Order: sequence, then C-alpha cells, then structure tokens
Amino acid sequence: MQAFVLKRLLFLVPTLLAASFVIFLMLRIGPGDPAMDYLRLSNVPPTPQALADARTMLGLDRPILVQYVDWLKQALQLDFGTSYASQRPVLPDLLHYLPATLQLASVALILTLGISIPLGMWAARHPDRLPDQIVRLVAFVGVSMPNFWLAFLLVLLFSVQLGWLPAMGRGAWTQLIMPALAISFMSLSINARLLRASMLEVAGQRHVYYARLRGLSERNIEHTHILRNALLPIITATGMHIGELIGGTLVIESIFGWPGVGRYAVSAIFNRDYPVIQCFTLMMVIVFVLCNLVVDILYAWVDPRIRLAAGEAK
Amino acid sequence: MWAAQHAQRWRTLRQRFRRQRFRRRNLRARSAAVFIVVAAATLGLPAAGKADPALNFSWFQNAGPLNPHLYTPNQMFAQGMVYEPLVKYQADGSVSPWLAQSWEASPDGKTYTFKLRQDVSFSNGEKFDAAAVVANVEAILANRERHTWLELMNQIVGAEALDAYTVRLTLKDAYYPFLQELALPRPMRFIAPSQFKDGGTKSGIKAPIGTGPWKLTETRLGEYDVFTRNDSYWGAKPAYEKITVKVISDPNMRAVAFETGQIDLIYGADGPISPDMFARFAKMRRYATALSDPIQTRALAINSAREPTSDLAVRKALNHAVDKDMMIATVFHGTQKKADALFASNVPYADIGLEPYNYDPALAAKLLDEDGWRLTGDGPIRSKNGKPLTIEFSFAGTDAISKSIAEIVQADLRKVGIDTVLVGEEESSVYARQKDGRFGMIFNRTWGAPYDPHAFVSSMRVPSHADYRAQLGLARKAEIDAEIGKVLTTTDEATRKALYKNIFTYLHEQAVYLPLTYATIFAVAKPEVGPLQFGAMATEIPFEKLKPGAK
Repeated sequence: MQAFVLKRLLFLVPTLLAASFVIFLMLRIGPGDPAMDYLRLSNVPPTPQALADARTMLGLDRPILVQYVDWLKQALQLDFGTSYASQRPVLPDLLHYLPATLQLASVALILTLGISIPLGMWAARHPDRLPDQIVRLVAFVGVSMPNFWLAFLLVLLFSVQLGWLPAMGRGAWTQLIMPALAISFMSLSINARLLRASMLEVAGQRHVYYARLRGLSERNIEHTHILRNALLPIITATGMHIGELIGGTLVIESIFGWPGVGRYAVSAIFNRDYPVIQCFTLMMVIVFVLCNLVVDILYAWVDPRIRLAAGEAK
Repeated sequence: MWAAQHAQRWRTLRQRFRRQRFRRRNLRARSAAVFIVVAAATLGLPAAGKADPALNFSWFQNAGPLNPHLYTPNQMFAQGMVYEPLVKYQADGSVSPWLAQSWEASPDGKTYTFKLRQDVSFSNGEKFDAAAVVANVEAILANRERHTWLELMNQIVGAEALDAYTVRLTLKDAYYPFLQELALPRPMRFIAPSQFKDGGTKSGIKAPIGTGPWKLTETRLGEYDVFTRNDSYWGAKPAYEKITVKVISDPNMRAVAFETGQIDLIYGADGPISPDMFARFAKMRRYATALSDPIQTRALAINSAREPTSDLAVRKALNHAVDKDMMIATVFHGTQKKADALFASNVPYADIGLEPYNYDPALAAKLLDEDGWRLTGDGPIRSKNGKPLTIEFSFAGTDAISKSIAEIVQADLRKVGIDTVLVGEEESSVYARQKDGRFGMIFNRTWGAPYDPHAFVSSMRVPSHADYRAQLGLARKAEIDAEIGKVLTTTDEATRKALYKNIFTYLHEQAVYLPLTYATIFAVAKPEVGPLQFGAMATEIPFEKLKPGAK
C-alpha cells in the first residue's frame, strides 16, 4: 500500500511539470495583453510608450522559453512570482485565501453526502412511486441549473425578499449556507440518482435474496447488504465531485464575496494575471491528483475484494 | 345558594377589577415606553449624535498598500483619501490652492514657486514642510521611468527648498497643464518622509501616512479596508468617523449588498453597478440616485485616410444617421448623456458652441445622394462608380456594451444605405488595428479630467493612436499637429484659447469623429447619507463632503 501511494505521489512530479509548461504556453499564445490590463488597472492611458514600459516591467518582453525557464527555476524554490495586479508574491496570497475555500468546499461536501445519501435511499425504497419521482425532479433541476444561476435565485429569495440570510461575506455560519448549497446542489443531485440506481441493482442480487430467506430484518438487509455494496460508485463519484466543488467555488466565491482562492483566481483571469493563474492551476492539478489518490485508497478500504486482488498480485 | 352566588359575583368583580388594574398598569407601562422613546428622540439622539456615523462602501478590490507614488494595486480613490496635492483640480479645469496656499510662475513658464501652508502635519504628527515636498519629489523622480506616460514627469527637472515653507519646481520647457497634472491622484502627492523605504518609495513604504482627511487603519486582505477620520486634519473635518470599504468584485452582488443594507453607498465611473440596476434604483425612489456631469466621451474615430470614409460627405452622413437617443435609452438605460462634440462643453476650452450633427436620416441620405453615393435599385446598399458603400467597424468583441452599440450603429446606417461590416475582435487585435489604421470606424474614448483636453489632444500627434490614423487623410493634418504643439507650450491664455478653438472646430467640421455618449459617474445612496456630491476628477470620491442626515 505504501509503495502504491509513494508511486502515485512520485507520478505527480512529471504531471506537474507537463501541466506547468502547457499552462504557461497556452496563456501566452492565447489572445490578450497583460500589459494592457495592467495599464487599465493603473488608470494609465495605454500609449505605446506606456505599453512598452509595462511589458518590460512585467518581464513580458523576453522570449517565452526564457520566461518559462526563469519561472520554473523560481517555482522550484516555491517562489511563484509576483502578481501583476496586486504586486504581491503569489504563493503567500493563495495560501492566505486557501482556508476560506477549503472551509466552503468541505461544508459543500458534507451537504452533498448528508443530503444525497438519505435522498437516494428514500428513492430506492419506493422505486417509481412518489418519493422516487420527487427525487427525480430535484435531480433533474439540480443537474440542469448552473450553480451561479441557483446562487442568484437563492440570494434573491433569502436575502433580498425574505431577508433571512446575509447575501455575502464570511464570518457567521449563516453566511456559509447559500454558497455551500449553490456549489453542492449539482453534485448531490447526481449522487442521489446514482445511489438510487446502485441500490436497486444490488437489491436484485442473489446475496440480498438469501439474506431475506435467512429472515434478516429489512433494516439490516438495507444497511448491511445493500447500502454498503451500493456505496462503491458513490465513492468514485465523490472523488470527482470534490474537484467539481472546488471548481464551483471559482464562480460562487465571486458571487458571495467569499474571500477564497476562487475569487482571487477569477479576478486574475479577468486581469490576465499570468503568475496567479499559473500557480492556481498547478494547485488545482495537485488537488485533483490527491483526490483521486484518496478515492483509490478509500476504495480498497471499503471493498475487501480490491484489497485482496492487490495483495494477490504482489 | 345565595352565599355561593354572592361569592361568585365577588370573584367576577375582583377579576374584572384586577384586569382593569392590569390594563391600567399596562397602559402606564406603555406610556412610559412612549415617553422614553420620545425623550430618546428629543434628548437622546443628539447625545447619540456625538458618536459620528460610519459609512459602508464597497470597491472591487482592496485599497492596496497605498504607496502614493505607485500604480496598481494602489486604488486611486483611496490614495486620494490619504494623500493630498499641492493644488486641487476644480470642475472648471482650473486649480485652487491646497497644500500650497499660493504660487507664482516665472515669465518663461519654466519655474514655479509654491508657498506652502504652515498649519499642515502628517497624520503621525510629522510637520509638512518644504523639506518633505522636496524629499517626495526626489523619491518620485528616482523612479522616473515608471511615470513617463505623464508629460509632467518628462518636463520636471527638480525641486528645491527656498525656505522652510517655500518650494521651487523647475521644468525643462514651459508646459501650461503643469498645475493640472500636479493635482492628479498620483504620483505628485506627499507621504511622511519617515515612511520611505531604502530612502525612497520605489520599493515600497513603511506605512501610509499622509496629510489627508482619512487614515487607513485596518486592512483584511480580500475582505475590507477601514479608513478612520484624521482628527488632526488641517481642513474641514469629515462628518463620518469611519468608512469601511468592503471588497465586492461582482456588480450584481454590489447591488444586492446595497439593497440588503450591507453597504450604504455605490459610487464609481467604471460600472460599479450595471446601467439597468441604476435605472431600477432610480425608479424605486427609496434611495438617492445621481449622475454626474459628463466625465469623458465615448466616440467613434472615422478613418479619413481610407475609402469610403475619406469622403467628407460620407463622414457627415454617418454623423447624421445614428440615433444616439435610442442608443442611450436601450443600452445605457438613460445613464449616459448624448454627445454632440468630441469634448463636452464642461471640458476646459471646449465650450465654443459647435453646431451638433443632429439625428436626421433624410439629411444623411441627401448628403450621400449629392455626393454620388446612390441606391442602384438592386439592393439596400448605396454605391458610387460601381463600388458599394461598405465600412469596416472594429470593436472589442468581448465587451458587451461595445457590441450592442456596434449593432445599433449597423442597423441605423443600413437605413440610409450604408453597409457596416462588424469586426469584433480581441482587445489587442483592436489595438493593433488602431495602431496601423486598418479600420473604417473604431471605438475611441477621451481620457477624462484632468487630461482632457490637453493630454488627449497631445496624443493625436502619436502615429499609433486611432486619432492620428483617423485624421491622417485631412488636408490640414500637419497644420493641426503644429497647432497642438503650440497650444501646450504657449504661456498666453488668449492664444491658447484661440488655438484650441481652431483645432476643435476643424476636427468637428471635418467629422472625423462620431461622438456617441458622454459617460457619467453613478452614485446611489441610502437617504441618510445625505445629498450626493461628485469629485472634479472621476478618480476621486469626495467622502469628506458627505453630510449625513442633511436634506
């Protein structure tokens, strides 16, 4: 197991290297001129002289490969450069914003699991009856509705109309409810439907039939024999959803004025703040790879068959 | 039996009495409460008024470290709250005494001697004097290459202290907008020299200590900045004690924050909220809303060096064919004003009574007919000598407002038989086109106060500007450029006026611009913020002028 984890972690190195090069190149061959954005942010009329000066100042007048090698050298020492817009070092700022994002994403994850599992079970207990139809409708809406649209609707209802929840900011727990719900709604919709399907599939299997013959209680059968087996696909899906949740924070944080990494990254994208975009994307690569790793480990832990197979292979 | 009835009656009576007493007591309690409220309203409020109110405002990012001599991430409005200029820019384009109480220019316009106020200190108690001014000017000049975009910085040679409160600034050549550019929010403002880092401000400052009415007292990255009133301020003290500037990047959420009471004021020139939101707040009548006078012009530059717009009749027809009122009503929801000339009449030297090109499609058609651009019958587009009347209109495709305007212009021009090809591209491609003149029409903006008109006019001589390219086909282009050179250096006011009039009139008559709208500053506030005021420059927010509670 340790060897497996170590191997996967080592694999992160070439992944990051390749990703960093692709991101670096894509940003620069893409349209747009950060020097222009820099001048716009500075309220300086973009005269040719001012543009040339800004390019020199931001180091954009050198060949791309030279820029990349310089950046890489510094990045290896954990120096990801200085933001064009804030003129502050990128990594400390990203780390400053990270806890807020992690808080939001974990609450969203708890909401996703805490709501989707009961919903899925409820639907599976009454297939094609009213509860199932309700869950189907919720899931349909959840999957179809973009999270920022849901966010605006929530704000309109709970902040503007009813005045129950604060529209933005961070501090009180009430400020967490709407952003967390907006981010998790899609994932929880998918998870609920997935669990329903998976539970119904397992329920038709032979071991459940035998469990019934053994006279076990329905509750016992559902929990021990159906749910545990049906949870496997949910774990895989959740691994993917974590990425989605963190990706969701990009837009949602901007909407709710949540001081996290997502909002920082969105304004960086608008301002073509290359150093910030590069560091943020690399951070996302690490998050995705680590999430997948955790899912694989969890998988083996939940399903003895996988563990055994791996053990035998050794 | 009787005894029982009697007892029952007694009980009822007693209960009724108690109830009445309760009511009376209740009434007494209520009247006491009313009395307390009334007393609080009459006596208590002035007492509560001792603690001055606080204002919640929002901006799209943090105020920054507030280095007075550097650009982004330092936000200009915040630099303007903490740091002050020698002279203050006025709405009419003149300057008034500020940290300098008087000044004198040498006859050749190359040296200016400023007498400083003697009652000014920095917010840490340090004295503001000639030595502080000289130290700041030297700190700015040590980083001269960062300021080359501003002509003032190319002209200034140095500063010397003649005595404790007299400073002389020396210029290379006479440059009349010198005082106007001194008034800019940056870089010519003053920080306490004790806050310099490595003997200057180039590589940062220790703390933002200025002479202004506000002090930056707290910053939470990504959340808010708090400004507190500078109680040792030399001028009129602001009515607000504290201003919290919350970081809200999204315009829609700024509107929601305002509506739900999290902020008290929305103010800004660059879309702090969308025009339709502003219109909605204005309609609600629950809030105070105001639009400033014109701050800059949104115009189209028309290429006089390229067919078919090299034709004066075509350029004039374009000016008559576009319905600006409709554009303002639909795209801007009435938040901008119709532009009749390149510069609004509130811009210095621009109030010269130029006759606007009114919306008149019939006249546009007539002009084109007379010039030989005729409808041939096999289509809606005019042509001359077999060439169709087609104009390329270049704009930033990612900007929704530019796109809407472009589509309206296209539809309007089609009605008079002009075909417009919309070329929506990425910003840098648009920039490349204006640089080498590959456009028929292109968006153009003046720079606003205090750069208008002098700095904008000056840039018309630079080949990479849309203005230069658009004017290149004019017969008198060289003459106009020479006049612009003269207007910036002449020390005689009457000559300057005459030269400006000449330049503006010629450009207007030659119709190389299609002025569309004058942009304005939006302000929306809760009624308790009091009457709304605008700064003379779009980049300053006059918090110190707010009079909360006033009608």
